[in-house]
Amino acid sequence: MSLFEPDFLTRLEYLSIISKRVFRGSLLAQRRTMQLGSGIEFSDHREYTPGDDIRYLDWNVYARHGDLLLKRFQEEQDLHIYLLLDCSRSMGFGDSPKFDLARRLIAALAYIALAGLDRICVLSFADGVVDEFPLTRGKARILSLMKFLESQQVSGSDTNLGRAMQGVLQRSRRNGIAVVVSDLFDEHGFQPGLDQLRYRQFDGHVLQLHDAREADPALLGDVELLDIETESLRKVTVTEKNLRAYKELFQNHQRAVREYCRNHGLGCTQSDATTPFDELILRMMREVGMGG
Amino acid sequence: MSLAAPLALALTALAIPIIIFYILKVRLRRVPISTNLFWRQLYDEKPPRSIWQYLRHLLSLLVQLLFIALLVLAVADPSFSWQLLQARRIVVVIDNSASMRAADVLPSRFEAAIENALATADGLRFRDEMAIVLAGPEPEVVIGMSGHIPTLKRALRSINISDNPTKLRPAIEFAQQLVGEHPHGEVLVFTDGCSKEERPGSGAESLESGAESLESGAESPDPGDKGSDSSSPVPPSSVRPSILHRRIFGSAEAGNIGITQFQVRRSLIDPLGYEVLVRVHNASENAVKARLELELDGAPVDVLPLDLAPDGVFTRALEKTSLAGGTLIARLTEIPADNNSLKTDDTAWAILPPREIQNVLIVSNNLFLRKVFEANPLVRVSVVEEFPDTWPTSGIIVLHRDVPQKLPPGNLLVVDPQNDSDLWTVGESLVNPIIIKQDAASPLMTYVRLDNVIMPQAKQLHFTAAPHVLAGSLSGDPVYAEVKRTSGKCLVLSVNINEGDLAFRTAFPIMMTNSLGWFAGRQGELRPALQTGAVTEVDLVDANVRAAEVLQLRSPVGELQPLVVRGNRGQENQEQPDSIGATPSVSLPPLDAVGLWSVVRKSDAVRKSDAVRKSDAVRKSDARPLAEIAVNLSDVSESDLRTPVELLPKNKPAILAASWLSRPLWFYLAVVACLLTVVEWWLHQRRMIA
Repeated sequence: MSLFEPDFLTRLEYLSIISKRVFRGSLLAQRRTMQLGSGIEFSDHREYTPGDDIRYLDWNVYARHGDLLLKRFQEEQDLHIYLLLDCSRSMGFGDSPKFDLARRLIAALAYIALAGLDRICVLSFADGVVDEFPLTRGKARILSLMKFLESQQVSGSDTNLGRAMQGVLQRSRRNGIAVVVSDLFDEHGFQPGLDQLRYRQFDGHVLQLHDAREADPALLGDVELLDIETESLRKVTVTEKNLRAYKELFQNHQRAVREYCRNHGLGCTQSDATTPFDELILRMMREVGMGG
Repeated sequence: MSLAAPLALALTALAIPIIIFYILKVRLRRVPISTNLFWRQLYDEKPPRSIWQYLRHLLSLLVQLLFIALLVLAVADPSFSWQLLQARRIVVVIDNSASMRAADVLPSRFEAAIENALATADGLRFRDEMAIVLAGPEPEVVIGMSGHIPTLKRALRSINISDNPTKLRPAIEFAQQLVGEHPHGEVLVFTDGCSKEERPGSGAESLESGAESLESGAESPDPGDKGSDSSSPVPPSSVRPSILHRRIFGSAEAGNIGITQFQVRRSLIDPLGYEVLVRVHNASENAVKARLELELDGAPVDVLPLDLAPDGVFTRALEKTSLAGGTLIARLTEIPADNNSLKTDDTAWAILPPREIQNVLIVSNNLFLRKVFEANPLVRVSVVEEFPDTWPTSGIIVLHRDVPQKLPPGNLLVVDPQNDSDLWTVGESLVNPIIIKQDAASPLMTYVRLDNVIMPQAKQLHFTAAPHVLAGSLSGDPVYAEVKRTSGKCLVLSVNINEGDLAFRTAFPIMMTNSLGWFAGRQGELRPALQTGAVTEVDLVDANVRAAEVLQLRSPVGELQPLVVRGNRGQENQEQPDSIGATPSVSLPPLDAVGLWSVVRKSDAVRKSDAVRKSDAVRKSDARPLAEIAVNLSDVSESDLRTPVELLPKNKPAILAASWLSRPLWFYLAVVACLLTVVEWWLHQRRMIA
């Protein structure tokens, strides 16, 4: 089965329409930046200092009160949206690999953004940035993007989110919105990578995917564990007690991701890999919309 | 300790692969995972208790090796010497007599005894042996000494109850022989105590006396506890009393009314008549009113009301008439239910032989001679004065005085011959010969005593061959003789019947009646009804039966068993050993069921078997049996179901119970091995779950 089915674009268009109602400009472009500039919508006043453009003086205030106040306007600008795709080997785990869902999600988000006249950039990463689909705009670029996504393969032997985000930030000209689609299985921790996005004033959103067998591995007895990312072997005896402890550790990890995102104002959507991408996008939209 | 199969120890080699597998360890199942992140945390941050984990595997190995060792030892079947020394040898004697059918102990005395015997078999210990002896007419070993409980139980369940009277003494003596001098030998007798041998005062005390009670108890409605044990007072010299124990299945209150005697015979006076002897015994503590119904071949003969006092006996001889004879059946009816614990003696059978018409040709004008034969209603007499041109081929020819030179073939009776013939020459007259010699055993002289009787006149006859003298005079001349010849039977009476005195004239008709029976080949007028369990030899009515021919004995319920014609009881056909002659006979095995037994040809038996399955109508149309035998219980002791109080136990009996270590050692080894599998399973689960 191909990654993008024939009706994929149709479903994307549907998502795009839905997103305009749900997001109301709260996520992607078509929203005001906090940057003041040459917009047409009044923001506030400040005192006039010599050298300011007198065209923006509020003469009505001066006539009434004799104060020289300068009108400030909110600048409208299109956002840069960075879609970050985890292509480490762990993303290829499972009967319906997380990587496939991740690519569909990236494609869907990119389409929605492009439809909103925003610029998007797709970066795949593993132990570092692996590949890049440079900043672009316009719905017409979606097909190229899909080809790019189809060409991506899982690779890398040591996921390092921090190093990957460092590479992303080096490539980004300006800040914007960063959507990380990953399982966040990083031996070094997921926080350093996300921290870097935060520090650079990126509006972050995390789409964390996992496989059902990761949450509940059906293992018991003496087994030899093969880490498909590092290809390391480990002989262990899995007891039911171990299994319970494993599940607890996994849930702790998931909870830690959620709490981190909540504490630092990042959006967070967690799902297993069997959820359809459009359903997951809608869920993400709702969460973001509710959050504000 | 010794091993029954030491070679089984070679199976210890099974431990080698276990150790090899333990050392090599089986290749682990490889499972791919997406990240080692959580497993590392799990195992590196909380390292397992390595010593215990190691020990768990080692302990598992030890358990498996111990498991193998125990199984190998179990297969080797070890035993201790003390087990052999304490083994018991038990002989169970089962009474399957008719009284054991009584249902005063539910479901019946016999079934309760079998249940108790089964429980006894269950209680056998390892190395114990048990044999089962059936107290039939002859002691019968159902199964010899065996310690295999399932086989013993199968043998017990295969025992069927019979209608035989109780014969415990031979079985007990036989059982004691089986036990021998074994230090732990026991004879357990399962009976109801209803027999002549068992009743006090019968002399049986000598057999049972001194027997110590192993188990004893009162009656109980529970089948397992119905038995009771009793001991007897005085031991005989040949019996070791300590090994004899009895378990009694019965009660002192069981009432029963039964036919204890039933016989029929032809009348000695009336040729058509017959006499019935019937006796009914009320073996209960209550007066009983009932009816006794007699029927001959399905036709009612008589109905007698009975009013019997407690322990009362009704005895009656009845005189009836019938030419055809048949099967006479006596039935007790309208008996109160509480006085009829045994059905076997409610009905009795007897065979009434038929009378047959005989043709007699008298060549004489002697009126006395003619009237003698005409007086017999079973004789069809024809009289001629001259010798006929052709002699009849059947019937009896009576010649008086005038005798042809060549005697006619067939049955011939010659009275007072005056002429010579091919068998004799007539000598001088004998004046007033006195009879001093008589063959009292001959059927021809039944009811006749001529000893010292003076005959008025007779002729001296010189026979060509030595005759069989039935009556001879003082001078040694035969007066009444049976002359052997090949062409038929021949009797010669040399007495002048016209001159006979009263004594002779009285005896003469009886002699003629006897001769008619002798010519007809009848073996008497009585076919006695036998008692169950009797062994007998019967004559067959069909003279065409050949030696070594296989016949069938048919039981009252239609079961067949083969019989072989043994030979000729008569003396007639010694020249033709292959032929049976007039009185072929067969020996019958013990007849262990009441009712009508019959001897039939094999072909008839097959047809009969089909007929039994069809209907009685077909049965009646079946071929006539070669012989029929009526068998009745006819035993006062069996009909009296009241167990003597002296035999009833005082204490509740106990089942022979297995004690600790009653099982073989291998059994316990196997049990421990099974427990070890539980331990290994627990260890495995510890590895999986803990």
